[in-house]
Amino acid sequence: MTIVVSICIVILAAAVIVGLVRVLTAKDLGSRAIVSDLMYFSAIGMLTMFGILVSSSIVLDAIFLASMVGILATMALSRILTRGLR
Amino acid sequence: MNDAVATALVGVFGISGSLLMLFSALAMFRVRDALSRINVFSPATGLGMPLIVAAVYVYDIHTEGFSWGSLLMAVAAVLCLIIVSSVASNTLSRASVLSGQPVYRKTAPNRLARPPAGVVDEDPDSPDQPRAGA
Repeated sequence: MTIVVSICIVILAAAVIVGLVRVLTAKDLGSRAIVSDLMYFSAIGMLTMFGILVSSSIVLDAIFLASMVGILATMALSRILTRGLR
Repeated sequence: MNDAVATALVGVFGISGSLLMLFSALAMFRVRDALSRINVFSPATGLGMPLIVAAVYVYDIHTEGFSWGSLLMAVAAVLCLIIVSSVASNTLSRASVLSGQPVYRKTAPNRLARPPAGVVDEDPDSPDQPRAGA
């Protein structure tokens, strides 16, 4: 269990690093918004995998709540893109 | 569920979900504009995160046994992820079009690039605009 979870953490960390590089090299704001959204979900996956690694009992609660409130960051970023207009 | 089966299921679900996230992050380099990035972002939240939720649920069954509460939580998490990803993609793509983010020049057909016929009101008395009938 430890080995496969560590492999998952390494792959997700690679996804976060690739996303960081993409945010640094992106020219337009929309690309930065969507890549930061991808980094948010990758970080949630890393968090749950760390929870499995330390045998925590609340990993399902954590990923449930994070998937429910994940839309708020995207909504905020899209409102920022349109400068507060709908 | 014995230990080997649980480890294999967590490995298959978790690693395939993580690989989908990584491939989606790599696809951000290959496409050229914000709308296509929103498009290639869908596999990460539509399939990658539900697979990670499945891995977590298998781990939860393995450690604490079956319970209806955790099954409900896992199903609700998957449904929330799918609904969240579709609604968020709609909102973000609408915002990126409205705020004038550049669209890749080879996008075809691109009907949003120019206004539809009859929308733009041109001044007929303007000197630098030739009249339609003249």
